[in-house]
Amino acid sequence: MDDLPRQILHPAPIDPARLRQPGLGRRDVLKVGVGFTAALGVAGLLGGCGEPARSPAKGLDFLRAGDVELFSALAPAVVSDLAALDSAQRAARVGEVLRNLDATFAAMGQASQAEVRKLLDLLGVAPLRYVLTGVGAWREASLDELQAFLARWRGSRFATLNAGGNVLVKLIAASYYVLPVSWPASGYPGPLQRVYQAVNS
Amino acid sequence: MAIPDIYKQGIASGWKVVDAATLVSPTTLEADVAIVGSGAGGGVAAEILSLAGLKVVLLEEGGLFTSDSFRDMDEARAYRDLYQEASARATSDGAISVMQGRSVGGSTTVNWSSSFRTPPQTLQHWASQHEVVGHGVDDMAPWFARMEERLGIAPWAVPPNANNNVLKAGCDKLGWESHVIPRNVKGCWDSGYCGFGCPVNAKQSMLVSTIPVALRNGATLVHRLRVLRLEHADGRITAAVGEALRADGRTPSGVAVTVRARHVVAAGGAINTPALLLRSRLPDPHQLLGKRTLIHPVVVSLALMPDRIDPYYGAPQSIASDQFQWTAGATGPMGYKLEVPPITPGLGSAVLNLFGDALRREVAAMPNTNALLALLRDGFVPQSEGGSVRLADDGSPVLDYELSDYVWDGARRAYLSMAEAQFAAGARQVRPAHLDAVYYSSWSEARKAIAELPMKKFRASLFTAHLMGGCAMSENPARGVVDSRGRHHQIANLSILDGSVFPTSIGANPQHSIYALTAQNATALAAELRR
Repeated sequence: MDDLPRQILHPAPIDPARLRQPGLGRRDVLKVGVGFTAALGVAGLLGGCGEPARSPAKGLDFLRAGDVELFSALAPAVVSDLAALDSAQRAARVGEVLRNLDATFAAMGQASQAEVRKLLDLLGVAPLRYVLTGVGAWREASLDELQAFLARWRGSRFATLNAGGNVLVKLIAASYYVLPVSWPASGYPGPLQRVYQAVNS
Repeated sequence: MAIPDIYKQGIASGWKVVDAATLVSPTTLEADVAIVGSGAGGGVAAEILSLAGLKVVLLEEGGLFTSDSFRDMDEARAYRDLYQEASARATSDGAISVMQGRSVGGSTTVNWSSSFRTPPQTLQHWASQHEVVGHGVDDMAPWFARMEERLGIAPWAVPPNANNNVLKAGCDKLGWESHVIPRNVKGCWDSGYCGFGCPVNAKQSMLVSTIPVALRNGATLVHRLRVLRLEHADGRITAAVGEALRADGRTPSGVAVTVRARHVVAAGGAINTPALLLRSRLPDPHQLLGKRTLIHPVVVSLALMPDRIDPYYGAPQSIASDQFQWTAGATGPMGYKLEVPPITPGLGSAVLNLFGDALRREVAAMPNTNALLALLRDGFVPQSEGGSVRLADDGSPVLDYELSDYVWDGARRAYLSMAEAQFAAGARQVRPAHLDAVYYSSWSEARKAIAELPMKKFRASLFTAHLMGGCAMSENPARGVVDSRGRHHQIANLSILDGSVFPTSIGANPQHSIYALTAQNATALAAELRR
């Protein structure tokens, strides 16, 4: 599990003019990237971006409705096999990934949960998300846009963005590849048969 | 062939096992000794103290999960039930993943069974540099022998699996030292599922060995109980106060549990024991509590082998190399031990740390993928002081750990050693688990590229499964939280019997070091309490 380091608590101020430019270059995104918490603070000033819901989505313990949108969009960008499914199958499979992710976040200690919440809240606020990730609405984002966002964060010279990019990628991957339905893709033949059969006979 | 579930049978025969989730009203227990934590330290202490005729209450925050629930041999279930924070525990900045057990048996329920004696260099360093007495090589030898006998610890007699054989073949080719790993197993089926809970009760974890003996001798086990604090007055612990958790294993039910005992043993490991003492505001006149937390930082190197090696099957660890461990003795540039981790689909995909087509390609190659790991031996020189444990607002532990240039130098040399060994073993391609690394096709290409890798948190993937220190032992109260026998320097009836007392890291997987040191110190404690 990765989370966000402390330097984000003391960020440089953001120039609001910057936020109005569409299609920011890499350098601009990185500059804004050091100011996660300030960015959250000014989010309310930018208008149109309501407070994210404060309680978990139905049936979940940690993830909120906005987080569900985020991970539903990002999961196929991390796991190509999900992108190849038709929408009904994909929704079902992504649902299993979400439940694994949710259980993991719910089991984290307070400090880790707080860092994860900071990251997810930041990515949940539309204008900031666009500036930091180049992604508009999660639901409408293309795979290319989503993967470009992950690549940019992980390639950044800012440890904060590396941390955020790593945690999203690693947790989605692990939450998918522990599912038995994924085993043909990893070549894992499943529990060692001679033992599995013996202990379950 | 069904495997008998030790606990179902035991509980039916009258063992006192309490799931705190089932408690509905405040409960007080009385005992001679309360032990907080049921891992390598707590398990051995529970057996020795109850065999000595003392009334023992063993308290565990995690749940009781037994072989019946391990029969699915399933990775997702294991992470959820058996690991701290569902296996997502990490350092405070998220840079180092912490794989640590959390159920009855602690990490011994999920570890990969490697059981090394504490290296003599480490024991000598403790005596000469940390004012530790009574734990020299000769002092410890009978205790290691005793625990080897008790837990079936012996060098693995079966040929290594193909994954471990990569390390052996690489070392042999290069003329490097390697050795067969001693494992704590009896009647092992060589399945490879140690990390998910042994489905056949062969691994001699505390779950199937010492705790059942303690229970047969009248001990009480209370699980899903989080001990919040040790109450104290006039230099003595007066009670251990805990909160029962619900069946989910993490939400408090609101039911308080109080344990009154003549003596308290803290055995929660190097993260949870310092946190318990910090929450309890025990005296700490020299500001040592939770300091010098040593973790054997781990870096990993991946290799694509020409043939299928099925790295998830077979005894997960059977070969190790100390070629680079003691080159300058205990001190000097950072030493490291080379080992092999199993690769399972969930953990393996996270270690790959890729997305999209790159992830799909490398996941598909998992049956041919080998990994080597290096355990970096921290805590032996001033440039490697380890990390520290502090408390979050709710009292849960937070681990801070920074890597100095000294440690990064060790990590880079370890990447080089691992890549060299993997190519020598016939790897087609090798890739350090690092964001800026790609698969290299030759040792010379890898050597050049690794020399240039930026050694930084979040770029290098870092792991730990070995938590040590934070309540160091020393005869000198200015240098240790406890004395060499694990007795707290300021609190008369408190002992610490777990890996948190180590003054440095071990330089090898630590479980056997915890077993033997605890056996020695718990035996002395039993004699003292029976007096």
